[in-house]
Amino acid sequence: MSAGDDDRLAAEHVMGLLDGAERDRAEQMLDNDPAYGRLYRDWQDRFAELDLSAPAITPSAALWPSIEASVASLPAAVVHSRAVPRPVRQARPSLWSSLGFWRPAALAAGLAAVMLATGLVAALNRAARTPVLVAVLVTDTSKPAAIVNAFADGRTELVPLESIAVPPGKALEIWTLWDRARGPVSVGLIGQARSVPLRLDGLPRPGPDQLFEITLEDAKGSPTGRPTGPVLMKGTASTAL
Amino acid sequence: MTAITSAGLAGPKELTEALRLCAAGDRRGLRLIYESEAARMLGVAIRLLRRRDIAEEAVHDCFVKVWQRAASFDPTRGDARSWLYAVLRNRALDILRGEGRTDLVDDFEPMGLEDDGETPEQAVERLSDTGALRRCLEKLNPVRRNAILLAYVNGLTHGEIAGRLGLPLGTVKTWIRRGVLALKECMA
Repeated sequence: MSAGDDDRLAAEHVMGLLDGAERDRAEQMLDNDPAYGRLYRDWQDRFAELDLSAPAITPSAALWPSIEASVASLPAAVVHSRAVPRPVRQARPSLWSSLGFWRPAALAAGLAAVMLATGLVAALNRAARTPVLVAVLVTDTSKPAAIVNAFADGRTELVPLESIAVPPGKALEIWTLWDRARGPVSVGLIGQARSVPLRLDGLPRPGPDQLFEITLEDAKGSPTGRPTGPVLMKGTASTAL
Repeated sequence: MTAITSAGLAGPKELTEALRLCAAGDRRGLRLIYESEAARMLGVAIRLLRRRDIAEEAVHDCFVKVWQRAASFDPTRGDARSWLYAVLRNRALDILRGEGRTDLVDDFEPMGLEDDGETPEQAVERLSDTGALRRCLEKLNPVRRNAILLAYVNGLTHGEIAGRLGLPLGTVKTWIRRGVLALKECMA
């Protein structure tokens, strides 16, 4: 391949115009071929001002905390590894770590939590039972499907908002994640969608932003102790008004 | 118009030092980069991805990767800021090219048809009046210039640019190749 071809490749690489195989090849050259690396960086420098002159748009207040949380959950070995290879694209990030899911879901859940917490409390008119935390679990279409209420005395319950078809031999398993290092913990298993107290004994009290999710598992619960089945709904806890 | 020099932007030395801190596992380094670059990175990501929530996701992923890969940054081989924006752009392009994003397919459908965000012309106007990039872009035939900017700024593929400009795919590829050659010559 001539130098001109490499230069053209580097230009289109920097412009984001390479697809699939061509891009993979260019990424490999970037790692292994210093001459190509120079061409690539020259093109980066030529276009750099387009990025530096982009409008500055203040990120939402939640962005930095979510970065910190993600960074804190990384294994230390990865962080300090010297010979850092270009990371292999994650095969399929779990939903627990998928911001694509969580960001809209959290937004929807946050909104829905406020509305539902207020609405439910008024409707039920049970002042003594006002939860201190509410998590609205939403489906992948951001539709509220269940609520987790945590009360001041430590009781926590799941209240489904709609029925869920559970195939024979299967069950709904409820999980919570308050510590990314430890990972999701099972807090309940139900054969069908019904209100149920959650087993949070031994776990820290639910806090804001704690995650809850329901997966479809075998009737006896996940064989691995971690969510294995499809995620039916999930949501983060918010402080109730 | 103030192009590059807005307040709070860290210099190359500060960014290099911040990356060194990251490589040593010191979170202050990442925070410094965030303070300096996050808002502009979000602007870049929104131009590429259109949707603010997804753009924030790209910035999030970028910072996680910067943290993981800071040790691989070699200040003798390039500028810290270029390195940071390459991480961001690669992540945004991965998202844009549909890596594992079936959940958002429906939302993506109208993308690029209705809200184009910033136009190529606006992106050029943001460039410094005195810079070589603006001068050389403005020398290009407008269609070539637009094709190059639609790719770099808005993340369009060859095919999408062809559709947008109403030109055959082969023509667009040729024009972009000639355009970048002219750009390189002009900026040399």
